[in-house]
Amino acid sequence: MSPGRTSVVASLADAVGGIPDGATVGIGGAVTAGHPMALVRALARRGPRELTLVVPVAGIEVDILVAAGCVARVIGSYVGAEKVAAVGPVFRRAVQEGSVEVVDLDEAHVVAGLRAAGQGLPFLPWRGGVGTSYPQLNPALVEFDDPVRGERLLAVPALELDVALLYSEVSDAYGNAQPVGTAHMDALLGAAAARVVLQVDRVVSTDEIRRRPEATLFWRETAVVRAPFGTHPYSNAWLTADEEHLRAFVAAGRAGGEELSGYMTTHVDGPADHDAYLEAVGIRRIASLLI
Amino acid sequence: MPDASINELFAILLARDFRPEDRTIMVGANMPMARAAATLASLTTHPDARVIVGLGVHGLGDGGDPPGVYPFLFDPRSMVGESLMWQGRIFDDVSRPDVFFFGGLQLDRRGNLNLFGIPDGDGGWKMRGPGSLALATMSTTCRGYYIVMPSHDPRTFVEKVALISALGDVEERARLKLPGGGIRLVLSPLGVFAVGDGGDLEVRSLHAGVRADDVRAATGWEIAIPDDVPTTEPPTAAELAVLRERVDVHGTLA
Repeated sequence: MSPGRTSVVASLADAVGGIPDGATVGIGGAVTAGHPMALVRALARRGPRELTLVVPVAGIEVDILVAAGCVARVIGSYVGAEKVAAVGPVFRRAVQEGSVEVVDLDEAHVVAGLRAAGQGLPFLPWRGGVGTSYPQLNPALVEFDDPVRGERLLAVPALELDVALLYSEVSDAYGNAQPVGTAHMDALLGAAAARVVLQVDRVVSTDEIRRRPEATLFWRETAVVRAPFGTHPYSNAWLTADEEHLRAFVAAGRAGGEELSGYMTTHVDGPADHDAYLEAVGIRRIASLLI
Repeated sequence: MPDASINELFAILLARDFRPEDRTIMVGANMPMARAAATLASLTTHPDARVIVGLGVHGLGDGGDPPGVYPFLFDPRSMVGESLMWQGRIFDDVSRPDVFFFGGLQLDRRGNLNLFGIPDGDGGWKMRGPGSLALATMSTTCRGYYIVMPSHDPRTFVEKVALISALGDVEERARLKLPGGGIRLVLSPLGVFAVGDGGDLEVRSLHAGVRADDVRAATGWEIAIPDDVPTTEPPTAAELAVLRERVDVHGTLA
């Protein structure tokens, strides 16, 4: 008789506890949707240093980790808050002060780099970016003449991740994720990572997963963390983005100083756990965001 | 009917310029005027066009409650349509999209666009922008792209961009054998611009009330303006009616 399958459900603290100083951390989601914000806040609370973030199209998760002093380098194609802020305010200040390095990639370079890592290749070629400032800004992108047709191309190096922090609306206890929608670049981030920490709203039975096997994503090493409404202030399938909260964060981020540390105290460092974060936000606010 | 806002004007000018052969019109993040243009075209002149909204939906149906111009991006209610844009797969078929839209921090005489920011000359940043998203890739491969500049002054319309996110220069594009069609039009609050025979951006029309000297003063290079430069044809009542009643039902562009 089978000894039974092994649950990979972990606590928030345990799941981010093993991320050391200097790690390369991918974070999923895109702009205002599907970022694993409960994981991000837990990581910021724990406070590893000198992280390299790989963020395809990022939002304030980068600003929060920069504000917590965790970040040395940001690799990606965008950090901003859409119409709320053209550029992530804490990110922008840190980059302009020189305390955080930014490594620019085109969105398609991120895809190519993650794929190369997932496929175990040193690089993949890409055309977009030839003739632009990318090779100057990011010397890791090497221009070369391809050996088949002799065309000028860029070699996009593999983006190998120590860990990918991802979000899915549901998974089972064994790491079978069924995100709603496209899940952005999350499948690729997971494939490029040595391990995945998956934040979910619901941990469902595997029978429920089996009803839609075509929707399942899975990775080799996965820890599942249940954090209901944990994408707040960003959206998921049931929750719209909290524009008012984002505006308040952007204002605090631009002001810096006490205003930013006030936000961090109330929403990141202060709450002992994810439930305490939700209490700080308030049930009325959360309920108002439900679609 | 009240006069068109600048974003309504942008939407209508873009929609007018789409070509009969444009089959797939793709709109990136945070460009509601371009979303509106694509939707407007699909409801009027381009019934066969697919509209792909960056990170959202494509296939906007009959526009009854069009998700493409919701006021706040990525609202999950916008996730309805004929299919979705899969961010990890969209670059697997570079024969689409036909059309794409860019904004930028700086645009130069040769049509090069900068969304990276302004370097300090010492390895750091004087002013850091958001990053260049997929501008390099889309400008390389799509059949044509539109640049919408929300402001027009000597800091945004410059002789030479500090960094190139999207290569507009037609001579450089030809030298590097970039496959795409390059810039179709540049829109600013002052007028409509396009690449001239010598490869420099030129004025095609000035918006109502704008004088040639306004453009000269606001542009960081000596821009060619013909003596008989036309005035941008204003939106018709019919265009505005469709835009307001069927496309921008939430008033995002107002």
